[in-house]
Amino acid sequence: MVNLNGSSLSEKYPFEELAVVYVLFFDEAQGHVPLLIYPDDRYKNDKNFMRPIKYHPIWFLGAEDVLDHIDLEFKGYTFFGKRFLAKSLRKKRRAGLEEETPETIVIIVSLPNKIEIFGDDLIKTLTDEIRNNFGSKMYEIIQAEILRDQVIKSPETKKIIEKGNKIKAELMDLIDKTSEHFFSNVIKQSDTTSIKMQKAISYLALKGIDVAHIAFKNYKDSFSTIKLFDPNVKPSMKLNTKNTFSINSINLMNDSQELEILVQNNTNKELTNLTIKITHVKEYFEKEVLNEFIDLWFPKEELLFISPTLPQINEYIFFILDENKKERLFSKRINLELINKQNS
Amino acid sequence: MSKDIIDEADIIIRNYRTSDYEATLEILKELQDQFNIGLNEEKWRETSGLRQFKPNLKRITLIAELKSSGEVVSMGMLEAVKNNLGQYIGYLNNWATKKEYIGKGVGKILADKAEQILKSWGCESVRINMAYKGERKLIEVFGKAGFDPIIIVLEKKFNTDELNQTPIT
Repeated sequence: MVNLNGSSLSEKYPFEELAVVYVLFFDEAQGHVPLLIYPDDRYKNDKNFMRPIKYHPIWFLGAEDVLDHIDLEFKGYTFFGKRFLAKSLRKKRRAGLEEETPETIVIIVSLPNKIEIFGDDLIKTLTDEIRNNFGSKMYEIIQAEILRDQVIKSPETKKIIEKGNKIKAELMDLIDKTSEHFFSNVIKQSDTTSIKMQKAISYLALKGIDVAHIAFKNYKDSFSTIKLFDPNVKPSMKLNTKNTFSINSINLMNDSQELEILVQNNTNKELTNLTIKITHVKEYFEKEVLNEFIDLWFPKEELLFISPTLPQINEYIFFILDENKKERLFSKRINLELINKQNS
Repeated sequence: MSKDIIDEADIIIRNYRTSDYEATLEILKELQDQFNIGLNEEKWRETSGLRQFKPNLKRITLIAELKSSGEVVSMGMLEAVKNNLGQYIGYLNNWATKKEYIGKGVGKILADKAEQILKSWGCESVRINMAYKGERKLIEVFGKAGFDPIIIVLEKKFNTDELNQTPIT
C-alpha cells in the first residue's frame, strides 16, 4: 500500500494494509469526484493511486443493469465497485437537474488479490451500512466538498462545510468500525473445504492478525501453533452466498470451441429468478458470451451451461445473479489454459 | 406387470438426474436396436440429460418413474431451438419407453408434460423427429395427439475418420 509521507497509519487503523475504501460521487460539473478515502483522505491527491478508480468499469454500469457490482484487477489488487442512488436536496449545477435529483454514490473497495475472496461480502456489508446510516446525509458531505473550493466563504458556507466535515468524520468512523468488525469475524472462519479461503486466512496471519483460535488441539510436533488445514474443525461462521452453489466440473468440448460448466444448487430449497452470465474481460470491459434466465432451480439440482469460447480469449467469468435482490450470488474465474493443463 | 393403462397418479414425471444414467442408457440402447437413432455410448454421458442452457437452446430430459418401485420406465428429451426468425420451436427427441411398458399410456403422460414445458418456454410449435422408415402407424398415433407431418428431413452421414482429418479453413 502507498505509504504517504513515510508514515504508517497502521496504529490508528490496524486494517489499513488490507483494504482501502473509496467513497465517490458523480458530480454533474466535474465527473467522478472522491468524497472520502479510508484509511487516509490524502490518497486522493496521488494520481497513481487514483488511476484504477478513474477507469473503473463501475462508472459505465447502467442504472438498470442487473449486475450487483463490478470488479477490476490492477497491479496485484482487486477493486470491487458498487453503486447506489442517495437522497439529495442540493442545488445542482446543470440545467435540467432538480434539487431532488438523487446523488450517484460509488463505493470501491480494494483488496490485495491474495484476499480478494472476501471482497464480495466486504463491499456488500460496507455499502449496506453506508446506505442505511448515511443515505440521507451524503448530499451534505457533497455540498461541503463543492463549497470547500470557493475562494470567498460566507459564514453560511463555513457552516455547511463544518457540518459536512462532521458527517464525513462519522462516515470514516463507520467504515473503520465496519472493516474491523468484518475482518475480525472473517478470520474466525476455518472453512477447511476452501483452499482459497485458507490462503486468504494465511495472508491475514502473516499480516499479524491473530488466528490462534484455529490452531490444532493437542498440536505438539511443530514450531508453530498455527495449523490452518485442520479437517476436524467446523466453520464457526459460514458465508452463505459462497456455499449456495458449487461448480462440479468444467470441460472444454468440441476442440475447445465450447465451455461446459456443471453447477449445482447445494441448498435444500428452490431458487427462483436467477440470471447466469458468462463474460470475458477485454480492456476493462466485460462482454457476455452467455446470458440465461433460470426461473426455477430445484434443490440439489445440477444444471449444465454451455457457452461458445472466443479465439485468443482464455479468461472467462461465471456469474450467478439474483434478479429479486439485484445482487451477485456467485462468481468464478475460469482460465481455459489451466483447464487444458488439468485435462491433459 | 398387467396390460392395463398406467394411471397418471402412479407415475412421477421429473427432470433427469445423474443417477438416471444407467437406466436411460438401457432405454436408449433399446431404441438404437430398434430404430438406429445414432446412439454413441461414449457421447451419452452422465451429464448429458441434465437441464442444459446454451445460447439459443434449452434442453431437458424428462423421466417417467413408477411411484411404487422408483423404476425409470420412460424418457424423452425436449429442446427449444431459436430459429432464424427469432421464434422458438420445440422438439421432442429420443422419446422411448421400456419394452414392457409400451402401450400403457406412459409416453402420452410424458408428452403432455413436455408440451406444457415447451409452452412455458414460449415455443410456438412442437416437432417430433421420427424414423422415416418407422411404422406409418406411428404417424397415425401422433396424428391423434394433434401432430401433422409437415417436413421431410434428409440426412447424409459423414465418415467420422474423414471428419477428423479435414482441417477447417
